[in-house]
Amino acid sequence: MTDINNRLLDRIDELTLSERIQQWKQAVKSSAWKLFADREKWTVASWIETEGEDIQIRRAKLLKKILENIEIRIQDYDVIVGRLTPDVIGCATSFDISGDYIPDLWKDTGELNVTLDANVGLDNESIEILRNSARLFIGKTAPEMTYKAWEQVVGSWVKDTEKAKLKDPTLDTGIFAQCTSVLMWDKILKKGIRSFIDEAQARIDEFIKNQETDINKLYFWKSAIIVCEAAIKHAHRYAALARQMAETETREERKAELLEIVHICEHVPEHPARTFHEALQSMAIIGVCKNYENPMHNNPQWGRGDQYLYSYFINDINNRTITLERAAELLAELIGRWGTQTFVAAESLKESHQINFAINNLMIGGVDRNGVDSSNELSYLFLHVVGLLQLSSPTVGLRWNKGTPDWLMNKAIRTNMVTKGGIPLFENDEVVISHFLEDGIPAKEAREWCGLGCVYPCLPSRAEHYGAEGVAAFNMAAMLHLVLHNGTDINGKLTGIQTGDPREFKGFDDLYSALMEQHKFITHRIFWLAAIARKEQPKHLRLPFLSVMGIEKTMDDGQDLLIPHPDYSMFGISDRAIIDVADSLMVIKKLVFEEKKLTMDELLNTLDNNFEGVRGEEIRQICLAQPKYGNDIDEVDSLAGKISKDSYEIIRSYDNSPFRKYLVAREGLAWHYFGGLGVGALPNGRKALEPLNDGSLSPMRGADKKGPTAVIRSAVKAGFEESYASVLNQKFSSSIVQSEESIDKLVAYTNAFMLNNGSHIQYNMVDTNELRAAKKNPENYRDLIVRIGGFSAYFTQLSPSIQDDVIDRSEHNL
Amino acid sequence: MNSAVITNIQGYSIHDGPGIRTVVFFKGCSLSCQWCANPECISGKPQMGFIEVLCHGCGKCIETCPNNAISIDEDKHRIDYSRCEACGKCGDNCNYGALVKYGDLMTVDEVWDAVKRDKMFYDTSNGGVTVSGGEPLLHAPFVRELFELCRGEQIGACVETCGFVDSDAFLEVIPMTDLFLFDLKHLDSDTHKLYTGHNNDKILKNAAFIIEHGADVVFRQPLIPGVNDSPINIEATAGFLKNLGEKALRLELMPFHRMGRNKYKALDMEYPLGELDIMDFEDLEAVKKAYIDRGISCTISR
Repeated sequence: MTDINNRLLDRIDELTLSERIQQWKQAVKSSAWKLFADREKWTVASWIETEGEDIQIRRAKLLKKILENIEIRIQDYDVIVGRLTPDVIGCATSFDISGDYIPDLWKDTGELNVTLDANVGLDNESIEILRNSARLFIGKTAPEMTYKAWEQVVGSWVKDTEKAKLKDPTLDTGIFAQCTSVLMWDKILKKGIRSFIDEAQARIDEFIKNQETDINKLYFWKSAIIVCEAAIKHAHRYAALARQMAETETREERKAELLEIVHICEHVPEHPARTFHEALQSMAIIGVCKNYENPMHNNPQWGRGDQYLYSYFINDINNRTITLERAAELLAELIGRWGTQTFVAAESLKESHQINFAINNLMIGGVDRNGVDSSNELSYLFLHVVGLLQLSSPTVGLRWNKGTPDWLMNKAIRTNMVTKGGIPLFENDEVVISHFLEDGIPAKEAREWCGLGCVYPCLPSRAEHYGAEGVAAFNMAAMLHLVLHNGTDINGKLTGIQTGDPREFKGFDDLYSALMEQHKFITHRIFWLAAIARKEQPKHLRLPFLSVMGIEKTMDDGQDLLIPHPDYSMFGISDRAIIDVADSLMVIKKLVFEEKKLTMDELLNTLDNNFEGVRGEEIRQICLAQPKYGNDIDEVDSLAGKISKDSYEIIRSYDNSPFRKYLVAREGLAWHYFGGLGVGALPNGRKALEPLNDGSLSPMRGADKKGPTAVIRSAVKAGFEESYASVLNQKFSSSIVQSEESIDKLVAYTNAFMLNNGSHIQYNMVDTNELRAAKKNPENYRDLIVRIGGFSAYFTQLSPSIQDDVIDRSEHNL
Repeated sequence: MNSAVITNIQGYSIHDGPGIRTVVFFKGCSLSCQWCANPECISGKPQMGFIEVLCHGCGKCIETCPNNAISIDEDKHRIDYSRCEACGKCGDNCNYGALVKYGDLMTVDEVWDAVKRDKMFYDTSNGGVTVSGGEPLLHAPFVRELFELCRGEQIGACVETCGFVDSDAFLEVIPMTDLFLFDLKHLDSDTHKLYTGHNNDKILKNAAFIIEHGADVVFRQPLIPGVNDSPINIEATAGFLKNLGEKALRLELMPFHRMGRNKYKALDMEYPLGELDIMDFEDLEAVKKAYIDRGISCTISR
C-alpha cells in the first residue's frame, strides 16, 4: 500500500469550491439547454467529399473535418479547454450514426424536445443544417440497416418485443456503438499520441515492405494517423485561440492563464504529459475528440482516475509546483465538464434510462495489478471534489476489497451523506476479479477493471460490446407475463412461445419450467439477432478514434473495434427483475398450489383486472402478505437464488463462438420504470404498468420489513454469485448517519456485506423532502425506518404530527 | 428453558451500545414513566393493538375473535380489553395489518436463533445484542442464559435497564454483560415517584452496587423538558455520578420524543405527556454543556 500523507487528507477535508468553479456552476445553472448544429454541418460536408472511399477512411476524415473546423470557444472561467459545444452546456446530434432519431425535427416549430422535460429553440439555419444531415443519412445508418436485416429474418418480432419491454431497444436509442468507453488513459498520458502515429506509420511501412495483402489493415492504420493528427491539430486550434485572446486581455492574471493554455495545448495530447495540469488538459482534448466521433451517450469514462493520475498529482504536490487548492480546482473543472454534458436522447432512451445527461463513470480504490490495495490521497480528493460539486454525474464506484483502508471508507460514507446517497456506490473488487479470472482473463488484466456507465464492470483493455448489438437487458417479469398468458404479451401479441394455459398446470414445477422455456426462447433468439447486427453494423460505421485510444490490440491487428475480435471483444447481458419474479412465483406456490387459498383462475382473473373488482384489493393484500425476498426467509430467498442460477445457465448455454460467451451483469439504473411498462399486474401485489423493483438485489418496495440487516442476509443467501454485477439499493433516513459513530457503523455494515461476498451496494439517504413525499405517498415508502435511541418505527405508520417531528429532527441535524 | 414475552427483535440498532446491535425488547416494566416511548412494553402480557389508519372496516376481525372482544359501533372499531386474551387470531386474519399483536412468548433458543443471524454485522462493528424493554432484568435468568450463548460466539452483550429491580438480578447478569446502559431519570425521589410510579432509592442503590461490582456502565437520562432538565437536577445527577467515582462519569442524554404516541393510541391508552413539545436543539446542547462543565463526559443520543 502507498504511504498515505494524513496531513494531506486533513487539508483536502478543508477544501471548498473555488470562486472560479462557482462561477462555472452558476453559468451552467443559468444556461438554457442548447443544441448546436455545427458538428452536423461538417459531417455532411465531409461525407459528400469522401463519397466512394472506404468506410474506415471516410469515418476518419469525417472526424478530421469536424476537429479542424468546428466552432470552439474559451470561456472566462476555463483553464482547461476542450468542450463539445461553444457554450458551457449543450449538445450535438449524430444523424450519421443513429439516423432519423429525432421525430420533432420535421415539425415546423423550430423547437426540439431534447431532454426529459425541456425543449430547445433553434434558429432556421440550424434546423436546415440538421434536416440536410438527416436527409443524407436517413435509412442508411448502422442501426437502421440492422433493423432492416432483422426484419428480413423475424419480421416484426423485434419491434414487438421492444414494445412489450421484453428487451431494451438499445439500437433505437443511439447508445449503440458503446464498444469500450474507457480509454487507455495511462498510455495516452505517458506516451502522448504522437507515439500512436509513429506506431501506425511503422505498421504501414512494414505492410508495404512485406507486400501484405489484407488491405483493410492498411486502411485502419491510415485512419489511425488521420484521427490522431486531427486531435493534435484540434489542441493547436485552442492554443492559437488562447494566444489571440491573450493579446487583447487586459487582466494580467487572466492573460497569464491564457498563455499557460497556449503553452500546454501546444504540448499535449501530442506529447507525454509532464504535470497534473497537462494530464487533465490532455484528457479534456482526447475526451472531446471522442465525443465528436460519436456524441451519443458515449461520454469519456474516467476509469481509474485515482491510479493513472496519481503520480502526476503527488509529484506536483510534493515538489510544490502546484497547490492543493489549484489541483482540486482543475480536477473539479474536468469532472464538472464531463458531468454536465448532455445529449439528444431518442424517445426510447428517455423512456428506458430516464436521463439526458451522459453517464460517465469514475472508479476509485481497488487493488493494483499486483493485487495490493492502491487507494491514495487522490482517491480521497476525487471523493471530496465530487461531494462539493453535487452533480448527478459521474457515477462514482469504490472498489471495495479486504485492504480498503478505513479512512477511505469513512470518507465514502461522508460523501454519501453530502450527496444524499449513491456517491460513491460500493462494488466488491474480489468478487468482480474472481469472475474475470473464471472467464479466463489473466489476473493482472482483471485487476484493472472499472465501471462502464452505471455499475457494469469492464476491462479497459478490451472492447465491450454490451448493448451495442441490440442486446442489453431482458425483462424476466415480462417473461413471467408471457407464461401467465400462454405466450401473449401485454400488447396482445404472441411474442413468446405457447407454454400452455396456466390453469392446466399440475403444480409449481410446470409453472417454473414454462418460465424457463419462455426465457430460453426469447434470450437465444435475441442473441441470434445480435449475430446479425455484428455482421451488419461495420458495413456502415467505424470508430477509428475510439479504436486507437481504447484498445491496444486494434493497432496490432489493424482492425476497428466495431468489428468484433475473438481475442479482445467482450459481450454482456443483463437479466433483470429476478426479485419480482421470485416473489411472484412464491405467491403462486403458496396460495394456488400449497394452501389452495386461490385457484389459478381466480388469481389470473384478478391480475387481468389489475386487482380491481369485488375481491381485488383483498386478494392484493393477501398476495402482499406472502413471504417476500429481503426478510431472511429461506424459502423465497433460495427461490430467488435458483432463478438467478437457472437464468445464468440459459444465457451461458448460448454458443457465441468464435467469440466469448455472454457474461451476466445485472446493473439497472432507472430501467425498472421502463421495464414495468411491459408487465401487467403481478402476483407479488404489484399493479399493472407500475415500476418493477429497482436494482437487481433490492427487495420489492416496502416489502422488507425486518430491517437492513435482514435485507443483506437475504441477498447473501440468494447468492447471485453468477453475476458480475448486482445492484442493491438501500434506503436510509439520513438520521441514520448523524454522528461520527453512526458513520463508522454504516462502514461496518458495508464491510459485513462485502466480506460475505455481496457484490454491490449503494445507499439512498432519504432527506427531508423525501420524508415529506413518504408522508404523502406511504405506499412507496413502507420500508422506511426511523431509528432513534431505544426506539424505531416504520415512518409511514407514524401519525402525521409525529412524522412532522421526524422531519423537523432530520432537518435540524442535516 | 427460560422463556419471556418479547415484543420486538430489532436489527441494525445503532444507538443502543457499541457497534451494530440487535435489540431484544422484553415486555413488562417495573416502572411506568409518563414519557415512555414503548407503552406496549409496560404490561407483561401480550396485548393486541389496533392501528386505525390501516383499518378498512371490513369487520372480518369481529367474526374471527373467539371472545367477542371486538366491536364496531358508529364506525368506531373497539377492542374490549377485559375480554381480549391477545390470541392474535384477528391479526392473522386482517388483510390490512391493522391489528398487531404486541408480545410473543419466546424461549431463549428462539431469541438466540434470531439474534445470532446478524453475527456478520457484530463482527465488523464490535456490536452484539442489547436487551431492553420494558425491563429486561425482570427476566434475569433468561438474560443470563442468552448472554452465555452470546459469549460462546464472541457476541457482545449489553443491558438497558431502568435499575428498578432487585440487586440479585444484577448480580446474576454482571459476569456475562459487557456494558450496562443504566437510566437515571430523576435524582429527587418524590419527583421520581410522581413521574415513574416509584421512588428512586433502589435505583440509586443499584447504580452504586454495579459500579462496586466492576461493571462497565454508561448512565442515561431521558431528557424530559420541564421534568428533569432543571439546573437542580443536573447538579444532583452530576454530583451523584461523581460520588460513584471515576468509572461512573459517562452520561448519555436521550432527548424526549413523542414517536410512541401512535402506540398509545393503538392500545387505547392515555399518553400522559403526549402533548409535551420536543426540546430545541439549543436547549439540548445547553444541558449537555452543563454536564460537561461539571466534569461529566456527556453525549446526546441522536
